Amino acid sequence: MTDPYKVLGVSSSATDEEVKDAYRKLAKKYHPDQYAESPLKELADEKMKEINEAYDTITAQRKSGSSYYGGAQNSVNYHSNSGFSDVRSLIMSGRIADAEQLLNGVPADRRNAEWYFLKGSVLYRRGWLEEAKDHFSRACQLDPGNGEYSAALNQAMSQRGGMYGGYNPNRAMGGECNTCDMCSGLLMADCCCECLGGDLIRCC
Amino acid sequence: MFGYVRPLKPELLVREYSQYKAVYCQLCRVLGQEYGPLARFALSYDCAFYAMAALSVSGAKPQEDRARCVMNPFKACTYLPAPGDSYQKASALCVLLTYHKLRDNLLDQGFFRSLGSRLLLVFARPMAKKAEKRFPWLAAAAQKAMEAQRQAELELAGPDQCAQPTAQLLEQVFGQLAGCNEKLRPAFESFGYFLGRWVYLMDAADDLAQDLAEGSFNPFIARLGLEGTKKLEGEQRRQAEESCNAALNATAARLVLAMNLIPLGDFRPIIENVVTKGLPEVQREILFLHVKNKTRRELKKE
Repeated sequence: MTDPYKVLGVSSSATDEEVKDAYRKLAKKYHPDQYAESPLKELADEKMKEINEAYDTITAQRKSGSSYYGGAQNSVNYHSNSGFSDVRSLIMSGRIADAEQLLNGVPADRRNAEWYFLKGSVLYRRGWLEEAKDHFSRACQLDPGNGEYSAALNQAMSQRGGMYGGYNPNRAMGGECNTCDMCSGLLMADCCCECLGGDLIRCC
Repeated sequence: MFGYVRPLKPELLVREYSQYKAVYCQLCRVLGQEYGPLARFALSYDCAFYAMAALSVSGAKPQEDRARCVMNPFKACTYLPAPGDSYQKASALCVLLTYHKLRDNLLDQGFFRSLGSRLLLVFARPMAKKAEKRFPWLAAAAQKAMEAQRQAELELAGPDQCAQPTAQLLEQVFGQLAGCNEKLRPAFESFGYFLGRWVYLMDAADDLAQDLAEGSFNPFIARLGLEGTKKLEGEQRRQAEESCNAALNATAARLVLAMNLIPLGDFRPIIENVVTKGLPEVQREILFLHVKNKTRRELKKE
C-alpha cells in the first residue's frame, strides 16, 4: 500500500488537526455525491476509498478517535415499484446507449415522471446538460413529492449556479469588500463587544 | 478553437506565468519549424493549453532555453522544448482547426465576403495535408467533427447536439493522453468532452448578438425563444446572458470533477488556474462586462 501520508498530501510530522483538515478537503473534493450521475463515479469512489483507507491507517496508527466518512448517494438505484427496472439496471451498469434505446421505445402516453427522470439521467451522463435539466424539471413537475427526482434537479441547478465551476455574478471573486460588507462587519463586531460587556458603536 | 481557454494571469505565480509563456512560445516555434512561418498565425491559447496538458501528463522534463523571438527580433523569449511529441500534436491540432475554420467560413459566407478565407486556404491546405500525414487519427477526428457540426446546424438542433462534435473531438484528443492507462481513460475523455462543450457554448454565447442581427444560426436562439428578435436589449438581454452563463457553469462543474481525477503532473497549478479561474473570467468578460462592445480605454477605466 502507498504511504498514507502521501495520499493525504501531508508530512508524517503533521499534527492530528492537519491530517484531519487535509482529509476533509480531499473528502470534499472527491465526494461521491458530486459524481453521483457521472460515468466517472467508479474512479471517484476508488479515490475516496484510498483517502478513507489512508486516513483510517493514520488514525489507527495514532490511536486517536476517527470520524468515518459515510455519505448518502443520490444516484439511480434499484426500486421495488419501478416501472422501468430494466432501464435502471442498464444505467447502473453503465450501459447508457442501451438504456436510451429502451427509453426511446416507450410510447408517448406511457412517459411518466420516472421516464423523464431516467431519460434525464441518461442525458446527464452523456453530457447533454441542457436537455438533462429540462427532463429533470419535467419529472419534478409530474411528481413534485419525489425525493429522487428533486435531488437530481437540485444537483443540476446548483451546478448551473456557478458554485462548482464557471462564473457566479453574485459572488464577489477574490475577497472583494464593499461598503455593505464593512457596515455589517462593524455591526457584528459591535454585537460581539456587547456580549462581552463592552460597546463599539454607542447608538446601537 | 477560439482562444477562450487561457489562464487568469493575476492568480498565477510569476514562475508559473513565465512557464506558460514559454510553452506558448515553444509551440509557436514548433509550428514554424513544422509547417512554415505562415503557420505561426494559427497559434492559439487553446492549443497552448493542450500542449501544456499533454506535456504535464506525459511527465516530460522540459528544459528552458532562451533565444530571439521569431516574430520580433529585438525581443528575447524563453522557450520550453521537451522530448516527446506533445508540441507536434498541439501544432497539428492548431493547423487542422484553423483549416476547418476557414473552410467553414467559405461555406457560411457569400463569395465576396469569403475572399479572405479563400486566399488563406491556399496556404492552409498544404499544411493541413502535412498534419494529416503525421497524425491521421487527428485529421480524421477533426474532419468528422466538422461534418457533424454542419449536419447539426442544418437540422437546427439545440445546444447539446450542436456542442457534441467539438466536445467529441476534444474527448478523443484528450483521451489519447491517457496512453495505455485504460483505467484513467474515462477521466481524460470526460475532461476533453466538457472542455470542448464549454468552448463551443462559449463561442455560441459570444456570437449570439451578431447571429441575431444577421439572422444566422445559433443554437441558443431557439433554446431561449428568441426567434424573430433582431436586437437584445435591457431585461431580455440580461436573461439571455444568464441562461447562457448557467449552461456554461453546468459544463464547467463537470469539467472540474473530471480534472480532479487526472494526475496532472508538474503543470497542475497552471491547468487548475485555467479551469477554475481562467474560464470563469472569460464568462465574466464576455457575458457580464461585454468587453467586445467597449474600447480599450473604457476597459482600462473599470
